[in-house]
Amino acid sequence: MVKTPQAGEPVLELTGVGKQFGAIRALHAVDMQVSSGEVVGLMGDNGAGKSTLVKIIAGNFAPSSGEIRFDSKAVHFHRPVDARAVGIEVVYQDLALADNLTAAANVFLGRELKRKFGPIALLDHKAMAARALELFGELRSETRPHDLVKQMSGGQRQAVAIARTRLSNAKLVMMDEPTAAISVRQVEQVLSLILRLKEQGVAVMLISHRMPDVFAVCDRVIVMRRGEKRADKPIGDTSPEEVTALITGAKEAA
Amino acid sequence: MMKKELGLFLLLVVISAITGAINPAFLSLVNLLNMANLIGLFGVFALGEGLVIITGGIDLSLGSMFALLGVVFVDLLTTYQIAWPLALLLVLLGGLTLGGIQGFLITRLKMQPFIVTLCGLLIYRGAARYYTSDSTRGFGYGDEAGTLGNIASGHIAGIPNTFILLIILALILGVLLHRSVYGRWLYAVGKNEEAARFSGISTGVVIATAYIISGGLAGVSTVLFVFYTNSVSPSSFGNFYELYAIAAAVLGGCSLRGGEGSILGIVLGTALLQVLQNLVNILGIPNSLNFAVMGTVILLGVLADQQLQARRRRQVSLAGLVRTVPKSILTQGQQNAPPRGAAALPARTGDHA
Repeated sequence: MVKTPQAGEPVLELTGVGKQFGAIRALHAVDMQVSSGEVVGLMGDNGAGKSTLVKIIAGNFAPSSGEIRFDSKAVHFHRPVDARAVGIEVVYQDLALADNLTAAANVFLGRELKRKFGPIALLDHKAMAARALELFGELRSETRPHDLVKQMSGGQRQAVAIARTRLSNAKLVMMDEPTAAISVRQVEQVLSLILRLKEQGVAVMLISHRMPDVFAVCDRVIVMRRGEKRADKPIGDTSPEEVTALITGAKEAA
Repeated sequence: MMKKELGLFLLLVVISAITGAINPAFLSLVNLLNMANLIGLFGVFALGEGLVIITGGIDLSLGSMFALLGVVFVDLLTTYQIAWPLALLLVLLGGLTLGGIQGFLITRLKMQPFIVTLCGLLIYRGAARYYTSDSTRGFGYGDEAGTLGNIASGHIAGIPNTFILLIILALILGVLLHRSVYGRWLYAVGKNEEAARFSGISTGVVIATAYIISGGLAGVSTVLFVFYTNSVSPSSFGNFYELYAIAAAVLGGCSLRGGEGSILGIVLGTALLQVLQNLVNILGIPNSLNFAVMGTVILLGVLADQQLQARRRRQVSLAGLVRTVPKSILTQGQQNAPPRGAAALPARTGDHA
């Protein structure tokens, strides 16, 4: 087991992170912190630099300038695998799941448990189903390990994707628009999944366009506009109106 | 997952029973063993084709591979007088290599499987015809590979060795596909390559391996067919055989979109195809209708399967709806159901407040 850091300790620290694509400045001097057990909302219009920021943290590409510290150590990611190795997981909007496989199979995809018979290693279905059930239990989701993902609702799919991050004991989970493509009823399930992650000391970054969701679960909200951080406020000190103004540029900074 | 295979098995039994009732010769031991031999011959490479189809790809080059590897194999034994174990090894390596090249082109150079293997079909056939100047190669009267020939076309306790070999290979590949990590990755890659890559799976290696296995099994099949026909005429040897394999795999439950299928299904699909061919003969249906019968059965089979699946999906989603809709809405009656989603939305999105 990986030791989960004490609540309140910063897990991720960015200092002056910027990214240039040729002449285009996608990101400029972003400072931010995310602590364990904290849910931070990352908001901004299309092209504001949210995705660039997420991709840098996830190791899809390196920043042009600035420093990333994870668990108080400076880190340099060259590939997504590097980020995953230190404990950063991304739950993608289109939920990278193979829907012809069961929930348990998806949770363990790429990290299958095996039983050895001499030189032959076979899948240990029983152990994987049991562990998946445990993980779903921790998330208080009623997802059944043996159900095929294609038969599941959007909320259950999210539970499977989030259970994957629990399996690897990720310290930071970034969720890209987790509530964009699912029904209103299932949004609540997903928000409660986020709170479960928080309870277990995981730092969560929620990238969302949906104001009510951000205000329902986040402790803090960061607003991006034109590649810069325009606001970083505890959720109690701001309002949907102010955040909207910051996103659209009606208000420059706060 | 087993429903499909069970349905296919029942179809096989029903067709056999009806044919047997009309003409008892169908169920005679001689005919059954003859069919078993053909099922073995056509099943071995269908297994490889099935793996490739599960990755979402296709291998159209198998029949031409038989021709090219076949003429080389006969030539090695007759012209060059190479010991048969070595010739066998070379042919297997040849199959693996051709599969490897195709796998490389598809995964590394990102070419479409259909195009790569279609070109393979053309190139291997052309190479085989050029190599032999379009002349048929055979064993003549010598005893170049008596031992291997006896193994390949022989039988144990009356059961053709080809059928026994198919069962052995099916068991091995069954474990590989359904019980091993590789098999699971194959399904994942076939359905959602991106998801598999995000999960840290080297999708290229997984896919290329399927083509290599298919090539290797094509090598095995080449040897079996060479000793079945005893000669190889490069322009017709193995013609259309890849289509038999594709048909068997599809009939056996593989989806050309990838991610679906099973070894048992592929074996049953092969068996059904051979039974159909056999019943055309046995029932005195004009032989020219052979392909038409096969085509019709595949079409109907896939159609029925799709309709059944769609019905099952509707039932599942209906059941899911009933589970999530709270009682209050159900008791209010159906009128209130449609606006539910839309009506709930404005209340929850305060973005523009």
